[in-house]
Amino acid sequence: MNMETLRQRAHRPDYQIVLYVGLLMLLGLVTMYAIGPQRAQVLNSAYGVDSYTGTYFVIKQATSLAIALGAFFIMALVPFRLIKQYAGWLLIAGLGASALLLLTGNILHIDQIAHCTLGACRWFELGPLGSFQPAELLKFGMLLFLARMIADKMAKGKLNDWEESIIPILLVTATALGFIVIFQKDLGTGITLSAIVATMLMVAGVSKSVGLKLAGIALGAGILSIIVAPHRIARVMTFFGGSESASLTDASGASYHILQAKIAIGSGSWFGLGIGNSVQSTGYLPEAINDSVFAILGEIFGFVGLFGVLLLFTLTLFRILHVADRLREPWMQLVAAGVFGWLASHIVLNIASMLGVFPLTGITLPLLSFGGTSMVFVAAAVGIVFGMSRYTAHEVVEKKEAEHAGSMRGRRLRRTRDTSRRGAR
Amino acid sequence: MKLLKFSRSNRTHILAVGVILLMAVFVVRLFDLQILQHDYYSSLANSEQVRQLDLPAKRGEIYMMSGDAPIKVVLNETVYTVWADPHVLIDANAVTAAVTSAVGDKAVSNVAELLSDTESRYKVLAREVTSAEANKIKDEHLYGVGFTAGIKRVYPEGQLASQVLGFVNADGIGQYGVEGALDDELKGTDGLLKTVVDIRDVPLTIGSSNVNVPARDGTNVVLSIDRSIQNKAEEVLQTQLKQIGDTATGSMIVMDPNTGKVLAMASYPTYSPEEINKVTDLAALNNQTITDPYEPASVLKTVAFSAAIDQGVIEPDTTYQNKGWIQVEDRIINNASKPAALMGEITMQTALNWSFNTGAVTAAEQLSLDKTTVDSQARNILYQYYHDRLHLGERTGIELQGEAKGTVVAPTDVQGNAVRYANMTFGQGLNVTSLQTAAAFSAIVNGGVYRPPTVVAGTIDDVGTFVAAEPKQTNQALSSSTSDKMREMIHTARQQFGYNNTDPEGYYIGGKTGTAQTIENGEYTFKQQTGTYAGFGGSSSSSPAYVIVTHVFMKDTQLGGFDAKTIFDPMSNWMIDYLKLAPKG
Repeated sequence: MNMETLRQRAHRPDYQIVLYVGLLMLLGLVTMYAIGPQRAQVLNSAYGVDSYTGTYFVIKQATSLAIALGAFFIMALVPFRLIKQYAGWLLIAGLGASALLLLTGNILHIDQIAHCTLGACRWFELGPLGSFQPAELLKFGMLLFLARMIADKMAKGKLNDWEESIIPILLVTATALGFIVIFQKDLGTGITLSAIVATMLMVAGVSKSVGLKLAGIALGAGILSIIVAPHRIARVMTFFGGSESASLTDASGASYHILQAKIAIGSGSWFGLGIGNSVQSTGYLPEAINDSVFAILGEIFGFVGLFGVLLLFTLTLFRILHVADRLREPWMQLVAAGVFGWLASHIVLNIASMLGVFPLTGITLPLLSFGGTSMVFVAAAVGIVFGMSRYTAHEVVEKKEAEHAGSMRGRRLRRTRDTSRRGAR
Repeated sequence: MKLLKFSRSNRTHILAVGVILLMAVFVVRLFDLQILQHDYYSSLANSEQVRQLDLPAKRGEIYMMSGDAPIKVVLNETVYTVWADPHVLIDANAVTAAVTSAVGDKAVSNVAELLSDTESRYKVLAREVTSAEANKIKDEHLYGVGFTAGIKRVYPEGQLASQVLGFVNADGIGQYGVEGALDDELKGTDGLLKTVVDIRDVPLTIGSSNVNVPARDGTNVVLSIDRSIQNKAEEVLQTQLKQIGDTATGSMIVMDPNTGKVLAMASYPTYSPEEINKVTDLAALNNQTITDPYEPASVLKTVAFSAAIDQGVIEPDTTYQNKGWIQVEDRIINNASKPAALMGEITMQTALNWSFNTGAVTAAEQLSLDKTTVDSQARNILYQYYHDRLHLGERTGIELQGEAKGTVVAPTDVQGNAVRYANMTFGQGLNVTSLQTAAAFSAIVNGGVYRPPTVVAGTIDDVGTFVAAEPKQTNQALSSSTSDKMREMIHTARQQFGYNNTDPEGYYIGGKTGTAQTIENGEYTFKQQTGTYAGFGGSSSSSPAYVIVTHVFMKDTQLGGFDAKTIFDPMSNWMIDYLKLAPKG
């Protein structure tokens, strides 16, 4: 328990974060409104039902957003002491939920509880409450737990010590990745989890030699995970060998998915086809409202619209970095860095695959994609950063050369105790 | 810029630069995709999103008359082809079970096998499935199963008038009969829908380049055929042909001589349109009354006598010397029978009664300059009556597919010599269809007006309003007094020879037999003769209400006009009852 945190005086939080997050969420909602009727029609005819109405998706998205905003502000307001204290329990909850999914889905095959597709069990079915993806909770738990763990190692000055720090961190990470990549067969989420950990380690200040070794390990694990799974090989092959002549009619492969995404984006031109005029969302583009929503945004709002989306994401990421840079306490700084890694990896992987510059990974676009769990946990994570933004220093917290010497901590705290302009009234 | 003011030594700076670089890559890529390659992706979008769909026009339905009211005899029924996309199918077993239980025998036999080919995107599971059956399958909400609607012709009257109706082939094209002849009117004009569609080809109201030309449905045609008369005609024809012989074939036309409307048109053998696939003898598809020209023989003596009377060169009681034969140029023409009592001076009426060829040739000779030869003047006059006025050897233009023209050789033709024209006076040396005979015969008895025969009474719109067909162009072929005399001659001929008192009292019935040798291997043969009977009936001598022409044929068998008469007689009597004709005192 660090009493320094509590004694710090709070100032106005960084409302730009709320502005950008709010604008992105609103854009997501407008998109659901715009393509909801077509989606409903496609699903109704696909399943021979008429239970999907034109407003089904916009209402569901609005509900998700309400819950997400609730999570955002709860996490912004809850004392960090509690977040830090219960980080371990959150991780255990995430691991436990993943284990339960493994048990009910992969082993017992209880279809009513675990939602499995082609042997990959990623979701709990919660009946009227919707569905829940344990990987998101696991990511959240990992973020908070590892931030505390790495900060502890930093405090002891042992961050670059393999036995003391690196191996334990790797073990925790490998456990979580094991559930996500091996059992849930979700390499995309695995990459984002790795990105969270990597960002935290980087900001924490691992030495270049340790960093290079860790990068090597990550690369090896990544290659291994690809060559053991045929569908991943196919996606990578598609990416490297994929030609535009990929059949428009073969709706199965990743090449079809990416080509359809490019068609959606390419038809947008400068200003897009306009709200209500998206055709690619009527069944041509797989996952149009989830993973592929960026392409649909491109079709509807064009180059100008997507440029705006990229700008909003960039601004959001920069605000998070801005906060991270000005937080005095390493633990808080690492949380903010992890959130940056979380958001940035989702944004980059998703958009890169939609643009055909990276193999398809199948992860959501934060704050825009349709879907509850991802939205709620991203909002909660950004909410924490928003809460922390009340405690930033006025100036960048300099670490100078002593990054891997834990001794700098006390010095930094002393220096920055009373330097917040906003806090000093 | 404050935004970018990160510590140089802090690694967040590296992250910020990384973000900027990646975003820059994305913006460049977006510019490439959305602006530079926009036309390319736009054309790809167009090729997969825009469909040109034909909006099929509804084929017109066909009605017959039932007394005064039209009733439907050819209907459209919507049927479905059930298909599956094995590639996306989720539960093949459920699909197999649902399809086989819903449609039974209509399902292909190897549904499960077809569905196991998961590389395939389209397998037909059942055809001609009714909408009720299709709905049973739809109720199962099976993913990957589709339905394609089509139209099937349905024939509530079974085989009735099948050769008149014709049928619609698998390509939707009318064949034979009315379906073939009026195909353009019946099929209507397909509409065109060019539209943006969703992935299941459901049209969307997105985009500005959509084209929508609605289909123009086909015309509903009302036939002049009367259901009851047609039904009776087919029954009588079949029954009498069975009496004549197992392999006998034949036809019958019932016409209203005052309008040219065909009331019944039957050919045997026939077929049922529902079982068109089971027809082995293609002859069954033919409407013999229009497709098979032949020599109706003595029936056409009525034309020769009409010409001579109309030209004022003979009267029914004009006499000539009957020797039992007559010489035309180098040819001797014999009578079929030579009763001793009728040698010497007899009237033209007697010649018609006994069907003496000498009488018909003599009548023709009266048209010549010297009254003793069939010279070119006589031939020109005969051709004028046979061909120009009564339209023998010409298509009648009836609304039925496959009408033959027949042959009446013109006097200007080298073949159109005296011998041929002498033969033509008793209905040989030419080829005409039963329908041509019926139309000419109608003109002879109806007051002399040739009316092109028709099977179409009019059209009927979707709300049931009947619009009568425009009457066709008629021509006065004979004077009405000639017609009056001919009716009396034909009436007398029926009464005087081979008559067996079958006509009811108080009615005025006339008829003429015809028996022709047929040509086998280019030679006339006596072994195989074909019989024709043309007759009319009505309440009084001045008002014939119907004309009936019957024709019989059986391979290697000598049939004659009296065989054809056995079909005429019961039909004629039935017509008197059906038309509720009032007897004259």
